[in-house]
Amino acid sequence: MSRVPTHPPARTRRALPPAAIAAALVAALAACSAPASGDPAASATPSDGFPLTVDSCGFETTVDGPPERVVTIKSSTTEMLLALGLGDRIVGSAFLDGPVPEDLPTVPAVEEPFADEAPGSEATLALEPDLVYAGWESNLTAETAGDRATLASLGVATYVSPAACKAEGYMPDPLTFDTVFDEITEVGSLFGAQDAAAALVEEQQAALDAVEPDDRGLTALWWSSGNDTPYVGAGIGAPQMIMEAAGLTNVAADVHDTWTSLGWESVVEADPDVLVLVDAAWNSADAKIETLESTPATREMSAVRHGRYVVVPFPATEAGVRNVDAVASVVDQLAGLDL
Amino acid sequence: MSAGPTTATAVTTGHDAGPVTTPGLAATGVSWGIDGRVVLDGVGLLAPAGGVTGLLGPNGSGKSTLLRVLAGVQQAGGATGDGARTTFGGTDLAGLPRRQRARVLALVEQDATTDLPLTVLDAVLLGRIPHRALLAGDSDADRAVARTALRTAGAGGLADREVGTLSGGERQRVHLARALAQEPRLLLLDEPTNHLDIAAQLGAMRVLRDLAADGVTVVTALHDLNLAAATCDHVVLLADGRVVAAGPVAEVLVPEVLEPVYGVRVDVLTHPRTGRPVLSFDLTDPRS
Amino acid sequence: MSARTEAVAVRARDRATARPAVRRGARPWLALPVAAAVLVLSVGVAVTIGPADLALTEVARSVTTHLGLGGLVGAEPLSALRDGMVWQLRMPRILTAAAVGAGLALCGAVMQSLTRNPLADPYLLGLSSGASLGAVLVLLAGVPLLLPVAAFAGAVGALALALTLAGALGVVTPTRTVLAGLAISQLCAAAVSFVIFWSATGDAFREVLSWLMGSVASATWTSVAVTAGAALLLGVPLALSGSVLDAFTFGDTAAGALGMPVNRTRWVLLVGVALLTGALVSQSGSIGFVGLVLPHAVRLVTGARHRLLLPLSALTGASFLVWADTLARTVFEPRELPVGIVTAAIGAPVFAFLLWKGNR
Repeated sequence: MSRVPTHPPARTRRALPPAAIAAALVAALAACSAPASGDPAASATPSDGFPLTVDSCGFETTVDGPPERVVTIKSSTTEMLLALGLGDRIVGSAFLDGPVPEDLPTVPAVEEPFADEAPGSEATLALEPDLVYAGWESNLTAETAGDRATLASLGVATYVSPAACKAEGYMPDPLTFDTVFDEITEVGSLFGAQDAAAALVEEQQAALDAVEPDDRGLTALWWSSGNDTPYVGAGIGAPQMIMEAAGLTNVAADVHDTWTSLGWESVVEADPDVLVLVDAAWNSADAKIETLESTPATREMSAVRHGRYVVVPFPATEAGVRNVDAVASVVDQLAGLDL
Repeated sequence: MSAGPTTATAVTTGHDAGPVTTPGLAATGVSWGIDGRVVLDGVGLLAPAGGVTGLLGPNGSGKSTLLRVLAGVQQAGGATGDGARTTFGGTDLAGLPRRQRARVLALVEQDATTDLPLTVLDAVLLGRIPHRALLAGDSDADRAVARTALRTAGAGGLADREVGTLSGGERQRVHLARALAQEPRLLLLDEPTNHLDIAAQLGAMRVLRDLAADGVTVVTALHDLNLAAATCDHVVLLADGRVVAAGPVAEVLVPEVLEPVYGVRVDVLTHPRTGRPVLSFDLTDPRS
Repeated sequence: MSARTEAVAVRARDRATARPAVRRGARPWLALPVAAAVLVLSVGVAVTIGPADLALTEVARSVTTHLGLGGLVGAEPLSALRDGMVWQLRMPRILTAAAVGAGLALCGAVMQSLTRNPLADPYLLGLSSGASLGAVLVLLAGVPLLLPVAAFAGAVGALALALTLAGALGVVTPTRTVLAGLAISQLCAAAVSFVIFWSATGDAFREVLSWLMGSVASATWTSVAVTAGAALLLGVPLALSGSVLDAFTFGDTAAGALGMPVNRTRWVLLVGVALLTGALVSQSGSIGFVGLVLPHAVRLVTGARHRLLLPLSALTGASFLVWADTLARTVFEPRELPVGIVTAAIGAPVFAFLLWKGNR
């Protein structure tokens, strides 16, 4: 099986114009007809982009070939692989945040996750993975799936979703759709599935471009979790990215963080036009609505009085392949609200 | 006590009974201050060997502190002045290394308690610590000495009881046994009869007299003047950290000496059988 | 009162209190080799238990290969991954748990005697809170490599503060020391809470919480070296100091009268406990209840004789923590709990039981 010569993963890729795609296809055909190397399977010579070293949240990860046995932790990473058509590589999924959307082809390892919460080190290694693809940095500690250095010494590569990096210089500031698409591309080159990645990026970019953001200049608060002190989307994370693309102004945008804790007082004072509620299994949108309507302080907010709620499922709120859908959904729901 | 006094105490003191002529405890110029307060002021004490010396005085006169200073275990405060000199049997007590001193001198405190679950025998075996190597355990010989000490102190049947279950009087006896297990030549006691009923009080003093007869120098603080009169040979009277009087019982326990110190009216009678002074008190205000 | 009357009176009192005379086991010293055997057995069994489906033969192959006995028994080495599970994950963790358990139980017993307080534990004098403060500062500053050093420095620093405070109040008595330690503990705990609240972002909470609960999940062979080394260097001398501690049973004055240099002894033992606890906590976080409860449980067997209590506490503590960690690794598999949760869950009811038994 020959490979398409890879382009170096660029940080700012725009959708490829059709002509460039045609040119790439021609080049691919030309490469296919060139004499292939003696052994088609494992390539001992560095070629075709492998071995590949990526800087994942400050940790250098090297893969010698496209990973064949992947453990995914959290929905964002699982759905990423499913969307790239790489579901057959998944040997175990864990800590999923909700059901996989219908339009993604699922696999048994995803339908039956091997852990409902962050798995332990031994349980992860028992699946004999060659890559652990984690949605949060904290999924890769000694208390959870394993310390990255230890895993590397055992021959297990680790990769953290770049949007989830917390270290200075690695945390996206702010998170943009370009960052999300760059992750898709990087994952594509990790797995030698650059074509699928490019196609997915193009598809998502087109869908994003097709969305018409709401133009009524509405303010909104993104409430993720927490009752006594709401945990809300702040200025530089996924909530901000989604709200901005949908045409909403985040009342917590001036807090320089991905998410933050706000007091109810600040929320009531800001009195946003719309409340975006995250629907999670452990904290449903309905429960949030009930809290808002029963607490004396919050029931007087204009959004609560008029029932101006927009609901977003939790997995769509982490940087990944569902963010564009989330934007579209938000815009649709906003259109349905009367203001 | 089952055996005759001489046999029991002979084993306890580790050598044959008999008249001994070792001089006893001689302390001069002992001064001690705590937090700037003078507790002992130039105290001198002479306790002859082979006798029971009572240390008397009102509360706060410094008896407990004096005993602890003599034993070298007083923690709070420090000596004021360099004039203190304490010898026992001619050797300088303060200059002895601690462990050696613990083989010569034993102190029985007023209230020593513990929350730990400890058997009486184990508590008494602690007295053998000065006699063994630092990290060593109890030998059979140690256990024999401990059991004898218990018998001597009148607590022979308590060996397997837990210290926490004892009454106050029983505990006092166990502490005495612990001190006896140290096989001391000098025994200092701080009010050993506090929690005892009259029979036990006399029993304890009888033990002390037997030890003294064996040559042990016994110095005991007592608050009961009559008990001192009935059982001590010599008496030292402290008041406000100073020695007011010292000497044989008959000379010190007289109204002229006692009334200024205790502030009560004292009459001294004579015991019909023993000839010892018996003190009697009444409500009369001595100043009237 | 004649001897016979007295003996009768004593027996009557015994019956009246209805408490049986305490009978010592015929050979209580037998407990030591038994405890040692239990420990070795526990380690051996624990290494075969875990969420991964490793056959006994595979575990045996891994262990014998690493011990250099592979040639002897003709064992072939396992694949790197499977071997890693046994030798890089399970073994260091179990051995660290054993060393930490031994050290904590030993320090707990010594502290309870030193402060004459049955509620004392190795963390009493601010050691745990100080270590937590050092650790949290380093974790949140993002320099996890310095964690053991910072934790150790924090522990010793807090101890120094506590002792200074106790000394500033006058004569250093056990009660004063305990109170000063409490004050410093509270201070450090407040600082820890503040630091966490102020600077912890996202899932940093998890890591900090894990450390505060105490866990051996991150144990490596380096941790084994540090904890076992500390346990041997500091723990063995401490465990042998039983006779010395016995002298303190009835207080400082009594100890002095028995020929002990009271202050020096107390300082040496305290420093020993502090260094050992600091070293252990730097590797495992503050695992609770081991140092508090195990000495009490062991005392039920040995009584208060420290010569037996100290080494037996160490051995029992080691086995206990090995099993607690095994439980932590498997009871909710595939998730792992920090072992501190298990020790608290077991320790609290056991402590309640011991209190109840002591009061009957």
